[in-house]
Parts: sequence; structure tokens; C-alpha cells
Amino acid sequence: MSVTGRIEEVKSEALRAVAGAGSTAELENARVKYLGRSAELTDIKKSIGKLPPEDRKEVGRVSNVASREIESALASRTKALAAAEREARLREEAVDVTLPGVPYPKGHLHPTLRVIDEVVDFFVGLGYRVAEGPEAETDYYNFTALNIPPGHPARSEHDTFFLDEGLVLRTHTSPVQIRTMLEGEPPVYVVVPGRTYRRDSDPTHTPMFHQIEGLAVDRGLTLAHLKGTLAAMARHVFGEGLKVRLRPGYFQFVEPGVEMDLSCFVCDGTDPNCKVCKGAGWLEMLGAGMVDPAVLEEVGYDPEEYTGFAFGMGPDRMAMVKYGIPDLRMFFEGDLRFLKQF
Amino acid sequence: MRVPLSWLREYVDFDLSTGELVELISLRVQEVDGVSRLGVLEGEVVVGEVVEFGPHPNADRLSVAKVNLGGREVQIVAGAPNPYPGARVPVVLPGSVMADGTKLKKAKLRGLESYGMMMSERELGISQEHTGILLLDDTCEAGSPVEDYFPVGETVLEIDVFPNRPDLWGMIGVARELAALLHTELRIPEPAFGTGGEPTEAYTLRVEAEDLCPRYDLRRVSGVEPGRVAPLEMRRRIFAAGMRPINAVVDATNYVMLETGQPIHVFDAKLVREGIVVRRARSGEEITLLDGSVRTLDEEMLLIADEERGLVIAGVMGAEEAEVGDETTDVLVEVANFDGRNILETSQKLGLRTDASGRFERGLDPNMVGYAMDRVTGLLAEETGGRAAADTLSHYPEPVVPWEVPLRLERAKLLLGMPVEKEEATGILRSLGCEIQGEDGRLVAGVPTFRRDLRREADLIEELGRLMGLDRVPEDLPGVPQPGGLTSGQRKTRLLRRTLADLGLAEAITYPFGPDRWWRDLGLDSHGDVVRLKNPLSQEGSNLRSTLLPGLLDAAARNRAFGLRGGALFEVGRVFLSNAPEDRDASLRFRLTGELPASASASGLMGVQEYPRVGAVLAGILQPAGWNVAERRAGFFEARGLVERLVPGATFEPGGGGFLHPGRRAAVRVDGVEAGWVGELHPEVAGKFGLEGWPAAAFELDAEICEPDPEPRFEAYANVPAVGRDLAVVVDRQVRVGDLLEGVRSLRSPLLKELRVFDVYEGGQVPEGKKSVALSFTFQGEETLTDETVNDEMGRVSGLLEAEFGASVRTS
Ligand SMILES: [Zn+2]
Repeated sequence: MSVTGRIEEVKSEALRAVAGAGSTAELENARVKYLGRSAELTDIKKSIGKLPPEDRKEVGRVSNVASREIESALASRTKALAAAEREARLREEAVDVTLPGVPYPKGHLHPTLRVIDEVVDFFVGLGYRVAEGPEAETDYYNFTALNIPPGHPARSEHDTFFLDEGLVLRTHTSPVQIRTMLEGEPPVYVVVPGRTYRRDSDPTHTPMFHQIEGLAVDRGLTLAHLKGTLAAMARHVFGEGLKVRLRPGYFQFVEPGVEMDLSCFVCDGTDPNCKVCKGAGWLEMLGAGMVDPAVLEEVGYDPEEYTGFAFGMGPDRMAMVKYGIPDLRMFFEGDLRFLKQF
Repeated sequence: MRVPLSWLREYVDFDLSTGELVELISLRVQEVDGVSRLGVLEGEVVVGEVVEFGPHPNADRLSVAKVNLGGREVQIVAGAPNPYPGARVPVVLPGSVMADGTKLKKAKLRGLESYGMMMSERELGISQEHTGILLLDDTCEAGSPVEDYFPVGETVLEIDVFPNRPDLWGMIGVARELAALLHTELRIPEPAFGTGGEPTEAYTLRVEAEDLCPRYDLRRVSGVEPGRVAPLEMRRRIFAAGMRPINAVVDATNYVMLETGQPIHVFDAKLVREGIVVRRARSGEEITLLDGSVRTLDEEMLLIADEERGLVIAGVMGAEEAEVGDETTDVLVEVANFDGRNILETSQKLGLRTDASGRFERGLDPNMVGYAMDRVTGLLAEETGGRAAADTLSHYPEPVVPWEVPLRLERAKLLLGMPVEKEEATGILRSLGCEIQGEDGRLVAGVPTFRRDLRREADLIEELGRLMGLDRVPEDLPGVPQPGGLTSGQRKTRLLRRTLADLGLAEAITYPFGPDRWWRDLGLDSHGDVVRLKNPLSQEGSNLRSTLLPGLLDAAARNRAFGLRGGALFEVGRVFLSNAPEDRDASLRFRLTGELPASASASGLMGVQEYPRVGAVLAGILQPAGWNVAERRAGFFEARGLVERLVPGATFEPGGGGFLHPGRRAAVRVDGVEAGWVGELHPEVAGKFGLEGWPAAAFELDAEICEPDPEPRFEAYANVPAVGRDLAVVVDRQVRVGDLLEGVRSLRSPLLKELRVFDVYEGGQVPEGKKSVALSFTFQGEETLTDETVNDEMGRVSGLLEAEFGASVRTS
């Protein structure tokens, strides 16, 4: 058989072997066998110099063509096999996607503080500042400066915790408003969240609770500004489209005093058995009013030049309504079964 | 204030459903807290004439009656034995609905048909009386509706009266409001009575404590028939208004009190010796009250006495001495006005609050005294057969007269934020009893003395707002002329809370009140600077916390008691320390009057310092094992890791309180400043707080020193690869890794970008008394680092560790 004939034979054999290889390992064996150092084709190429000169060119060409064809077959077969193998491996690597992931902790912020943050954000957006003050407060700031002088009947309703003489746990956040007014000149726009204390403990009262109060003093402020501001706040926290209504209210340091109700965000008054509003259709939201001129005078503001409004709400109770919490006492027990729901 | 609607109709006409009335009063006057019903809600109650009455054949306790209902006779089974043939009784017919909502049906009782029911006073809402059937006057006609004689069903509004509106503690006051709202007429009863009784002036009246008693009127009614019962309708009204009918004399006084808001007291004139003296009690003077209690009085308490002994603690409660009883035939009626604040103080000091004291303490109108006296005299004369004296003894040295309050309509418009027309404003104020004068936009209101709350322009404007209707006020927003926002401190506090929550902790809010036990069990001094409450709710809450720890520990123990296996709580809140001011007098002046001496600081005079803190307790299993993660338990390094997160740059040195594990606790400092502590709980303390056997760690930091997100600053970096090297050194066991790291950092290598401890190991191939510490270094420069450069840096590190810490570099 001629050398070129043998080359053709080896090539066919090699191409069959490549095509028949079932793995990249078998393919590697085929590569070594047909193109490796000791392969027949390699030997033939090495011995070309010993051939008669007239045959050398033809044998050289045919052997090169054979090598290239085998290489190309190897390359494409390698690619195909690698793809198949990768696919098989990926199939092998499949996980049970229904298993839970690595646990990343979920935050738990206290429900009262969630409400406070929301309310504060609303007022900050309007341009209010946030004021804070001491929880152990003087008699003067907690009462007298707020139109509740010693002996005033309203004092007895505050169920005050007394510390040292003339020192109480603040019964409301209102003293912070006084402190704020004393520190500067109008305009004043502040919101005051904080802990407050009253000596009262029953299913609906805890000796510590929270208030958010607010105060605006400026030229030309009216009850309409109060209504618009607080209605927008209530809608921000409880939902757009809710209605508000004002009722007469009595608070020592405002005149006129009002209470604001919010239409029930669950039933809008359509469900007589509604758990949230008890069928009333309205939820008591907050107390407010135009700042009493005597309070403005007490802090050195001219009540003829400035008017103002003040408001107060209970974020604990708002959280009860918003999240459907049945019992105020749960708020301050540090019970993880409670806290982890928020 | 309980307002029976049938009674209200005596003074004012209204054509509103109960729901409409409740809404009107709630939106324009004051909140209606509730609506209660008495008697028969709907159906028919007719007068029946008992024809036959005898025992029920099948039941010992029942009777059976034949009753004529006017033209027809029915059989009714009764539980009470008091009817008799010829008696007139109220009969409620089948189909009627009672106050408790039950619907009456024709029934068979022990085999006998019963058509409807004969009613007791209680069933009709007249009194609590339920032992017998109510027997009606013989003039009542069989078959006619009982409604012709008195209401058989009553609706009562419970109105929440604001403390500044004592006028609404009386039916007339409520009716006046309603008449103003409905633009209709108010009818006030005209008292009328003849005189001819024994003269009042047989007694004397001396008011010694004029400052506490602006007015005292006394009038005698004699010839009272003893033991009379008040008429049914009066008793019914008194009962519906929430009081107990007693006898004709007492009921007349209570009736007028409910009508006018003015409390009235009656003495048995025969028991009063010489006359009435209104004086301060003597210190230590004792009095035995009607409720049987003996009270010791002080010199600030006002006493109504005769010449020999105390008869009444003024405005609060009477003594047994001169009370009216079943034999009383001659009475002295007291209608008086007392200083509200004094009555309040007395009632607080004695722990005794009565219907009368609750009214007096609000401050009543002394001019109401005259009307109430005439009204009660008229009723006493009418209901008891008595004759009024022609004379009244009156002490009223400084009569109160209506006062004037100017009102600018412009100002009303400004405050209310809606137009206020003169005509409407005038109409409203007149309907409240004001006299209005004035031109243009400037009015002057003459305020009736029963509206003591209307003193200033703003008070009148409030009345205009609510009676015009607050629903007319539009919604508007002011233009706020300042930039708002949280201060950096407030932003930081919020970030602190969110960071801890995002790290998996739960935010708690705990009470700041704690028992002495807290300090004792933590081994902290509880004497010096702990702030104490003068009137704690209980001994469990007698101090203010000086650390957040015990409150959080109590919560953790509670969670354990409820079966939880662990958890992490944090709180951001204040702790309190007392800080006794040097100048106590100045401090008291500041606390009571706000007066701040030029030289002093307000915080120095407060006497209590508050410190914002953040604290956390990690207890038990923080995170249970998952299929792909290991369980995490509370421990020193869990807590320390949180502190590192909150306070970058913090340093940790052994320290912190004795309540912590002595070998696992650290004081936290930032730039040398004390910032708090972190550590595992001492097992003994854990046991005392109910966490026995549990791993527990905690920290508490000054909240203001925390920087969970420090302001970043850009640092240039080069686009060349970083080179990592590891180094393991063997050092003596007591060498502290923190010191090793500090040593390496002290080299100030400009190329060292990151330094990490990745292993600490003892035992095995490491010699006894030694430990192996493996460190990982990351180097990066402005140009690609050569091996030589990196080797030089590592050489410097090794050299230092060998020289300063006796480290031997481990070769592996
Ligand atoms: Zn609802």
C-alpha cells in the first residue's frame, strides 16, 4: 500500500475514534494515539525525508491535511463533549430550591416608635423641627407655665408621679413646647415625641405611655391651618382619602379646644360590628386647639401679633388601632412574641 | 352627667332621634359617652284594675290575678304578693320590649296562661324597688296608657362634662345649650310657694370663714309631714339621673341639685343648737359622718357647725348630728357657695369625694344660690306639706355681677379660620345668656354669672366656633417659613435603632421604674444617686433606673418563662441619676416658678440628670441551627461585635461592672472617653434575674457616643492588584491578640490595607502554655508590589512580633 493510502486509512480510523469518543478522557486518548509523539502519522511525517524526492511533496501535503482534519474533528468533538459534560454536571449540582436560604435577620422596631417615626417624618416634611426635653420635669414647666397653677383642679387629674419637691415625671410632653418657646422667637414649628408618665395602671392605662405633641406659632395661624395640618397627618399615617371631623374639646392650654376624629379606615362607618371603630364609623385621633393667649404671654410672645395651634396624640393608641393590638399593656413587657411581629 | 330625655323635654322642645341628639351634642357641646335605657323601650303599658287576686294553684311563690284592662279581662301570673282586688297596677302587654332587650311573650307559667306582666318600680325604671308590684293612684283609669301619668321608658344620655363647665352639671344648663343649638325657647321653672312657716330668724347665721364661703343662704321650712315619700315622677327622674330616691325632703334637694347643679343640704331644725356657724375646723377636730366614718379635720377645712358642734364638712358630707330623718318636721335648708379649690383639697385630704364635692370643686355660680333656694323651698312646701318661712338668712357680702368681655369679629375670624358674621355671632352669644352691645366689628358681651368659664375674648370665640359648627372650618396648610428636619443627634438615634433591628435584635420599651432588688442583685450602690419616686404605684417601682440592664433582664427572664429558648432585645432610652443642687432654695424656686438666677444653669438646678443610653441583652440561643447554619448562642463576642458595629474605633479593656463575668467583660472607650461596657453576665446575677444556666451577654453604651454610620471620607486607591499574605505566630498564652494587632498597626505601614485574625489555636502541635495566632495581611501600593517589597513588610512585622511579644513565626 502506498504511504498516502496508509495516511488516508489512519485518518479514517482517527476520525471514527474521535466521533466514537464518549468523554473528554477518551478523546484525549484518541488525540495521543493519532496525533501524539509516537503516533503513526507523526512517524510518517518524521520519515518524509527518507522518501523518494518525487513522493515527498505529495506525502507531506496529504499528511498535513490529515492532521488538520483530525485536529478539527477533535476540537469540535471536545467542545460538544465539554458542553454535554457541563450540562450533566450542572444537572448534578441542582439543589432543592424549596429549602430555606441562609437566614438574614429581620429587624423589629417597636410599634409605638414605628408610629412616632411616621408622624415625625410627616411633620419634618412640612418643615417642622423635632424638640425633646427632660422626662424628670419641674413643677413649673409641667403645670404652672401651662396654665395649671398650684391648686388647680386639673392637677389632680394628672395622677402625677412625684420625685423630689417641685420635681415630677412629666405627665405630658407639653413642657417641651414651653421650653421651646422660651428658647426662641416665633415662628415656631415643632413636633415633640416622648415618653410620659401617669400614676395609673389598669387594662387601658399604663404608668408610662407616649405622646406626640406639636406646636405652631406664627402670624396669622388659624383653626383651619390646624385642621388641614392634622387631617393631612392622619391620612399620611392611616391612609389617603380618610375624612376628619372636629368636636369641641377641653384642654387647659388651648382655647378654642377641639378633638379630631378620623373616619374608620377599615369600614368607613359601613359596618356596625367593625372591630376597629366599634361601629361608630369614627376613631378618636387627637386633641388640639389654638394656643391659649395666656400661654403665649407666659413665654413672652405677644398674643395680638402671634397666634398658634397645638396638638397632642397618643402613638401607643394609634399603634393599637393601626396594627390591631388589643391590649396597651403588651407594649411595655418586652415580650418577644409581641415585638417580633413588628 | 346623666340626662334623662323626658326630663330634658320639660325645659326645651326637640324633635330629634336619640342618634341625632347624640351626634348634635357630641359635635357641638361635649362628648356623649353613652346612652342607657330604662323601663319599657317599645310596646304598651296600660293601667290594669285587679279584679281577683289569689295564690297560684301549682306554685307556692306565685300568685295569679284577673285584671281588667278597660273593657277586657286577662289572667296574669305574678311573683309578688302585694296586689289586691281593686288595686291599680301597670301592665305591660305581650310584644313589648324591655330595657334589657327582651321581648315579652304570652307565656304559660306553671300551667297557667299569663297575658303580659304586672310591673315593679325597677321594671319601669323608677327605682331599684323590686319586692312588689307598683300600685298606682286610684284615680288612674283602667285601660288607659300609663304614659298618660308618667313615662314608662326612658333614654338617658351620659354626657362627659368638661371641668370648666359646671353649668352642664345641671339639667337646665344642658337644656340651655340645646335650645341655643336648635334656636328654640328655654323654659326655666318659676318657683312659687306661699309662706307662713316658722321664721328662719329664730336661728342665727354667722360666717366666720368668709374667704372660703362667698355666699351662705339659710331658710326654714316647718310643718313638714314626717316620713313622706316623694311623688313617683320625681323619684323616677332622680333614679334615671343616677341617684337613689330616699324620702321627700332629701329627694327635693337632690332633684334641685340635678336641675341646677347646685348642691343643697338640709338640717333637722330641731337638732340645730342656736344657729349655723360657718368656720374653719379646729386642728384635730373630729366628726362622725353619715357613712359612719370618723374624720379628723385640720384648720384649712371648712366646717358647717352650730354653736356647739360640727354638722357638715362643708360641701363634702354631713354628720349624723342634725341630719333629717323619718321624724323630722322642721328643716333648715342650706344653699351655699364654697371656694372650689378648698373643697377639692379637703376632699383629697380626706379621700372622700361625693356628688356635692365634685360639683363645688369646679367653682359654682353664687347667683345660682337664690334660684335653687326658691326652687327647693317650693318643692319642699309642695311635696312635704311644709310651710316656708317668709325670711331667708343670707350671707353674700360681695355679690357677683355679670362681667363684660370685648369681642372683635376680625379676631374671631382669624382664630377660627372662617368668616364670622355679626348677626350669627350675636345670636349665638345671646342664646347662651349673654347681653350683646357694640358697633361694627367690635362687640361687648355681658356674660351671665353661671358661665364662669367665659372670661376672655378667646373663650367667646370658642363658643362661636362650636355653635357655628366646627365642620364649617375649612382645611388649610400654613406655609412654614423654616427648614425642618431632624438634628444630627436625632438622625443618629434613629440609625442606631434601625441598625440594631437590622442586625436581628428586637426593640423593646421597658418601664424605667424598678425595685431596690435591681440594684442589690446587680451589686450596685442604691443609696447615693438613685432617683426615688415619692409615690410609686408599688414598691416594685419605687426607683428610676440608673441602667437599662435590669429592665431588659426582667424582660429576657419573662420570655424564658414563656418558653422561648433565647433572643436579643435592645432599648434606646434614658437613665436617671440624682444630682443634688448646691443651692437648694434656688433649685426649689426654679422648679416651682421657673425663676433662673443669672449665675446658675438650669440643668444644675433640676436635681436629676438624664442620660440617653442604648442597651441590649442577648440571652440563650440567639439563632437556632438551620440545615445550613450553625446555632448561635449569646456570648461575649456576639455582644462585642454589636458594640464594634455601633462604635467604630472603640477600644476594649478588661473592666465593666461586678455584675459581669470577671473574665469576660470589658470597658468600652472611644478616644479614651468612657463609652460603656460589654460582657457576659455573672452567673450569679443571671441566676438572680431568672436566667440561671443560660448564656447571657449584654452591653450598655452612651447613645450619643455611638456612630453607626460615621461620615465617610474618600481615599485614593490604585488600580493595581492587592497582595495577600498569611502569618502564624506562636506566643505565650497570656499575650493578648489585641496588643499584637496594635503592635502591627504601630508600624504604620503605608502598604498594609487590611489586617485580620483568622485563627487562634491552642493544643495539638502548639507547645503547652503557648498559643498560635494566625493573621492575614492585605498589601496594596500605588504600583504593583514586588515580592521583595511585600517580603520586606512581612519581615518588619515578624521582627516586631518577635521582639515585642516573643513570638516565634510558625513555618508550616
Ligand atoms: Zn370601622
